[in-house]
Amino acid sequence: MTEPSVKTPLLTTLRRSLPMGLAAVLIAVGLVGWWMTYSLRSDDPSSNAAVVDSKATAQVQAAVSQALGRVLTYDFQDPASTEAAADSLLAGKARAEYDTLFTSLQQRAPGQELKLTAQVQAIGVKELSDDKATLLVFLDQSSQRATDNESSVSAAQLSVTAEKTGDTWKITALKPL
Amino acid sequence: MTTHVEETTVAQDDVDEPTVEETVDKDAPETESSGSGGRWRIALLLVAALFAASGSVMWWVSDQDPDRATAQTRDDVLIQARQAISTMNTLDYRKVDEGVKAWADVTTGTFRDSLTKVSADDQQLLQEQKKISTGRVVDAAVVDVDLDKGTATVIAAVEVTVQDDLNPGSEPTVKRNRFSAELLRDKDDDNRWKLESLQQVAVNLS
Repeated sequence: MTEPSVKTPLLTTLRRSLPMGLAAVLIAVGLVGWWMTYSLRSDDPSSNAAVVDSKATAQVQAAVSQALGRVLTYDFQDPASTEAAADSLLAGKARAEYDTLFTSLQQRAPGQELKLTAQVQAIGVKELSDDKATLLVFLDQSSQRATDNESSVSAAQLSVTAEKTGDTWKITALKPL
Repeated sequence: MTTHVEETTVAQDDVDEPTVEETVDKDAPETESSGSGGRWRIALLLVAALFAASGSVMWWVSDQDPDRATAQTRDDVLIQARQAISTMNTLDYRKVDEGVKAWADVTTGTFRDSLTKVSADDQQLLQEQKKISTGRVVDAAVVDVDLDKGTATVIAAVEVTVQDDLNPGSEPTVKRNRFSAELLRDKDDDNRWKLESLQQVAVNLS
């Protein structure tokens, strides 16, 4: 009769405290695990999908290459198509800056019979998230003036920012380097 | 006597029964409470174990994530490529030897061979031209990384400032260049990324 009376409190304390202690340890392990998961996933290299997500990288490269080609190609005989391209492919600051350029172009292009061609020679994505990307672009440009048969080519280096609305990438900033 | 004995056994039974019932009664509420408490504890333990297991698994999975390795390699490549490309655009006529050694240190393969074979005549020429070139990578981007092959492609916009000491007091000239570089991971040198080729991206309008 004395045996159980000694055993019971010990057993009860064990039965009560051991699982609680174990649970506390397990919860601590879980917290560390989830915290490490969070910090690994949100650190700088991992939050940048450039190159890593090859499909998304190729997509934004193609979109920006095409957009720059269309927006920076200009024919004095058909300025409307360039302007329409700018409307659909540029946004924000890039749009406002382009308008200034385009206005001055519109003034001298018909007199000089000016044609501009632009082509992306090399392109690389520096940063890429779901809805924003920054790129480095090597652009080849040529201009032809029909009036004096003058033509020139130039090599440009641009830092480009693009933002995605819905399914389409639009260029929001263009900075010559 | 027999009845008495029977009575006593009955009485004893009567006495025993309540004690049994008593112990059962005593235990019953306790086992019931420790039963529901036990169930709570088991549930808590289960939840805690699940939490610990899921946390550990997720930690392991994110640590082993191949995308994470690619992302880190991409960033390493960019840092080392920038360094190497600016080195390749830097040369001081007063320290040609040092400059050529620096080139050799950031290049590999046949590209490195061609640089280390710079002849004494060429070195002499470089010294006589009295030019101090300083390269600075204005911007660069990783185009491609292959972890298995240990190769990478980087493009870089470079600004080269050239000081001409043949004309003392002249303003340094600044040139803008576009480069495309192929890099190779050097297993023999702490897995550093080294230039396998470095080419100017020329204008090529089709």
